Amino acid sequence: MTEHSDTSMTRRGVMKGVGGLAAVSMSGAGVAEAQEILGQDVPADPHTRDTYRAIVDAIVPRTPELGEELGEEHVPGGLDVELEKFLIWDFNHFQEVRLETLQTPIETARVGGGPLGGLGDGNPLEDTLGGLTPGDEGGEDVPVVDPVLELVDGLMAPELFQLDLDTISSGSELGALADLAGLDAVGELTDLLAVEDVDEFGELLDFGAADRLAIDFADAPIPEDAEGIAEFDLLVEAGNEVTQRVIQNYPYANVFPFVFDIVAAEFLLRGENEDTPSPNPEFAGGGTFVRLSREDRLRCLWKIVDGGVIDRLDGILSPMLPAVGILKFVVMAVNGLHGFGYYTEWSGLGDTKTATPSEREMQVDPGAVQSRTQTDYPGPADGYAADWRHAVDGGFDDDWETGETPGPVDGELPDEAADDAEGVPGGEAE
Amino acid sequence: MKDPDVVVVGAGADGPVAAWKLARDHGVDVLLLEAGPFFGNEEWPEPHVDSGGTVSTDPDDLDGKLLDEQFTHREAEANDPTYGYLRVGPSNSARAPWFRNLHQNAFIWQVSCVGGTSIHYFSNHPRGYPTAFNDQPHWPDEVSYADMVPYYRLNEELTSTQQAPMTAREEVFIEGASEEMSGEYPLLDGLNVTETGWRPQPNAVEVPGKETATGEPLDSDYEGSFSYDDGFRGDTLVGDHFQGSSTPVDAPVREKARKSSNIGYVPRALDTNDNPDVGNVAIRPNTYVTDVHTAEGAGNLEATGVEIRDTWSGATQTVEADTVVLAGGCIETPRLWLNSGLPDDGWVGKGLTTHWFDWVVGVYDDETVADINPEREHMDPYVGQNSAVRFDKPGVGGLEDIGMSPGLVSFADYLFTEAGYSFDTPVDPDEPWDTRGYVVGKELKQRMADYRNTKAILVLTDDRPRQENGVSLDDTFSDEHGPVPKVRWEPHPDDDERRDELARIAANIHRNAGASHVHRSEWPPLLLHMQSSMRIGKVLDFAGEAKNVDRLFVADHSALANGVGGPNPTNSGQANALRIADHIGDRYF
Repeated sequence: MTEHSDTSMTRRGVMKGVGGLAAVSMSGAGVAEAQEILGQDVPADPHTRDTYRAIVDAIVPRTPELGEELGEEHVPGGLDVELEKFLIWDFNHFQEVRLETLQTPIETARVGGGPLGGLGDGNPLEDTLGGLTPGDEGGEDVPVVDPVLELVDGLMAPELFQLDLDTISSGSELGALADLAGLDAVGELTDLLAVEDVDEFGELLDFGAADRLAIDFADAPIPEDAEGIAEFDLLVEAGNEVTQRVIQNYPYANVFPFVFDIVAAEFLLRGENEDTPSPNPEFAGGGTFVRLSREDRLRCLWKIVDGGVIDRLDGILSPMLPAVGILKFVVMAVNGLHGFGYYTEWSGLGDTKTATPSEREMQVDPGAVQSRTQTDYPGPADGYAADWRHAVDGGFDDDWETGETPGPVDGELPDEAADDAEGVPGGEAE
Repeated sequence: MKDPDVVVVGAGADGPVAAWKLARDHGVDVLLLEAGPFFGNEEWPEPHVDSGGTVSTDPDDLDGKLLDEQFTHREAEANDPTYGYLRVGPSNSARAPWFRNLHQNAFIWQVSCVGGTSIHYFSNHPRGYPTAFNDQPHWPDEVSYADMVPYYRLNEELTSTQQAPMTAREEVFIEGASEEMSGEYPLLDGLNVTETGWRPQPNAVEVPGKETATGEPLDSDYEGSFSYDDGFRGDTLVGDHFQGSSTPVDAPVREKARKSSNIGYVPRALDTNDNPDVGNVAIRPNTYVTDVHTAEGAGNLEATGVEIRDTWSGATQTVEADTVVLAGGCIETPRLWLNSGLPDDGWVGKGLTTHWFDWVVGVYDDETVADINPEREHMDPYVGQNSAVRFDKPGVGGLEDIGMSPGLVSFADYLFTEAGYSFDTPVDPDEPWDTRGYVVGKELKQRMADYRNTKAILVLTDDRPRQENGVSLDDTFSDEHGPVPKVRWEPHPDDDERRDELARIAANIHRNAGASHVHRSEWPPLLLHMQSSMRIGKVLDFAGEAKNVDRLFVADHSALANGVGGPNPTNSGQANALRIADHIGDRYF
C-alpha cells in the first residue's frame, strides 16, 4: 500500500462538471425534501444491496441441511433478517466529514506545501530532527521515525470526497476507470492495473446494475466560510432505476462494491478463483464480485488483506477512495460486523433496525431473535443463580516489602459505602 | 469551576483517579474534562439526544436507576462500533463516530464517556509482573515494583478488588490447568506474581455472597430477585460487562458491583465537594480538548491551560490552570500533544503496546462438562464474571478464561483473524489446535450452535515497546478537533514467539480439560489493552511530568513505561495515576 499525495490533483482533473451534480440531481427536490431524505432508511441501489447480500450469504448462509442435523431453527441465515442493511448502515455512518476541514490545497503537506510551508530542503527543523537516533534499551533494531511527518496542516482536499464513475458517458467500465484516473485512453490502464491483458480484464469487469456512481457535496461548490457537517449528494444510476440520496456521512457503503468488483475481476484474471464464476440471479444487481462462488467471494476479499491487491491496484483504486489503505480495515469489518449484527439482538429491532440509534427499539424479546434461537442464549438478565466457590481460601497473600507508603493518604476511606459493604449479606467474602 | 488549580483531560479509567487523589489528599481544585457523555447522571437524562447540563459537582446527581435504563445489557446496542452507546464518538448518537485512520486488518476498541474504556472492561485487576518493572530496561530506575505496591494496595481497596468466584465455566479451565486436576500448573495464591501458575482473577467486583439480605441461599436453586431494592447486594454473576454492566439493578451508582471508574472513583471524586477540608472536583462531559496552552518558562515551556470545544454546540473556550494533566488514553493523549505543537523528541505517541492478543477456543461435549460439573451440562459463558480465572507466566505473558454473550463470541472466536479463512488455512499437525482463521458458512452456524459449551482463552503477550508502533497525526483526514490519529501496531518476531508459546499452553489447557475441538483464532492486532505511547522514561520523567514541558503531566495508561508484562493494565494504570497525583501535589501544591 502506498499513500497518494497526488490523488486529489488527479481526481480534480477529471471531475468534468461533477460540481454541478448537486444542482442537477437535486432538481425538483427542495431543501425540505432533501432534509427528509437525510432521515430515510437505507434505500440502497441494487448494486450496493446485492453485493452486500452476496457477502452475507457467504458468511451466514441459509443452511437447509442443518434442519435435520440441529433443528429447523438453524436453517435461516443473515439474508432472512436483512443483515445486508446492517453492513450498509454501518459503513455509511463510518466517517463524518466537516466543511471547515476542507480546503483545496496548492500542495499537500506531504509534498511540501500547506500552511506550514515546505518541510523538505531547508526545513528549519531538519537539523534538530534529522539527527535523532533514539534506539530503545531493549536492544532491538529501531528505525528512526521521521517526526516531520507529524506536521500536517489539518485540511482535506474536497476532491477526496468527490467522485463520478460513469460507464455510460465513458463507454464502458474500463472507460470509466480511465476517465476517473485522468487517462486519455483505456489502453493506458495497462500500467495502472498492472495487468498483461487489459482487454481481458475489461471483459471480466462488470459493475452489474450500476451504470454510474456520483458523489459530491450537496452544497457544492463549498462556500469558503462553510462550517458544520458536510452533506453528500449520492447518485447511483442503474438502468432505469436511479437512487439518489443526501446523506451526512461519506457513502462508503456504495463505493466499496465497485472496489470489490474491480478486485474480483483481477482475482479472476490472475486465475485465483477455485470455482467457475457464474451469473447469480439471487444477487442480480451485483457485478463481477457476486458471480464468484461463496468461498471465492471470501478468497477475493482476503486478497485485499493478504494478497497484495492494494499494492497492485493502488493506482486504479486511489481515485475511488479518500484513502485506499482503509480497505484492509474494511475487510476486517465486513467479516466482523456479522458478529455485531447477526449474532446479537440487532435483527429483533424490526423496522427500526436502521433508524437513528436513539430511535431503535426492540420489537422481539432479545432472547428470541433468530440467531439467539440458534445459540440457545436466553438473552440478558439482571442476574444468574449459580453455584460458586472461592479458589484461594482466605484470600490472596500480599507480602511484597515496600520501603514507602503512598503519599499523604488517610487510612480511612472517604466513601462510607465501601466500609458498609462488610456488614451487608452478599458483600462479604467467604 | 471557573478557576481550577488543575485541569485533567479525560475522565476514563485513570482521569477520575488522579482527580480524586489531587482533591482528597492535596487540597487541589480539579476540573475533569471528558469528550464523551456522562451516563447515570441526572444532569444528562438523555445523553445521546440532548446536550443536557454543563457540569456536575453534586454526588446526588448520580442516579443508578438512570444508569440501568441506559445500559441495556444488549450487545449490539452497546458494542456496535458505529451505533453502540459505548462507541468512541460524540455524545450525539445521530453523528458518526470519531474517525481514526487504521490502515491495517485490526480493530481499535475504546469507549468515550465518563469511565472511558473501563465502562466495558472485565474488571480484571491483576498487578503487573514485578519482572516487568524491575528487570525490563523500559522502566526508569526511579520507579520500582516496590514503589508501585502501596498504590496497588490503595487502588485495590478502593475498587473492592478480590478473588473472583469460580462458576461452572471456570471449573473447566481449572480442570485443564491445575496440576491437582488434569493440568500441570500450581495454584498461585498471591497478588505479586513471580512464578508460573493459575489463579483466580483479582477482579474489581464485589463478591456475590452466599445469601441475600432476606436470608435466601444464593446458589443455583435461587429463584428470587436480583434487585437492590429487594435487598440484593454484590455481584449478580451476569457476564454483561462489555455492555456496561449496571448490576445489581436499582442500586445507587456507587453500589453497583463492578467498579469501573465511574463507579469506583467518580462518586468519591464528587464527594469532595461535600467536604470543606479538601479540594473540589467538577466533571464536565461533552467537552473535547483541542489545544494545550503553554508559555515560555524559565527553562522549559510551561503549561498554562487548555482550549476546549463543546461537542454539542461547537463553542470554544480557554480554561486556565496551574497544571494540566493529560488522561485521554494512548491515542487521544499523543494526538492532543501533537495537535498542540508540543515538543516531540521522537517518542511522543510511540512505543505503543497492546499485549499482542490471541484467542484460543475450546468446544466441549455436554458429557465432558457434566463430568467436571456434575450438576450441569453447560458452561454457560454468560453466567459468572466475564473473566474469573487466569494463568500467569512472568516474562512471557498470561492467559484468561473468558465468557461472553454470543454476538461478541462469534466476532472474537470466528470472525476476527489474520490467518485467512479456515477452509483454506492449513494446520500444522504438530500444533495443538484443529482449525484456525475465519470460520464461516455452515461451519460457523454449527460452531455457534455449541455456544453454551464453548469458551475461549485470551492470550495476553508481554509485547515490548518499539518506536515504530504508535500514534501519529494523519495527513489525509481531519475532524473538528484537528488531524485525526493515525494508528499503527505490528508485532516484533519476539512478540510472535511469546504469543505462540502462550497459544500452545492455552490449547493444551483445553485439551487437558477434554475439549472436543480446539480452534486458534489467530487475531490480528486488537488495540484494547493499550499502554506506553507516552512512556515515563522517554516522554515523561518518573513523576509523570513532561520532560520538555513543565506543569504538564500524563496520568493515563500511555504513561506506563511498558505493557507491565501482559496482565490487564487497569490496576497498573490507576495505581500509577495515584502515584503521579501525589507527585503533582508534592511538586506544585
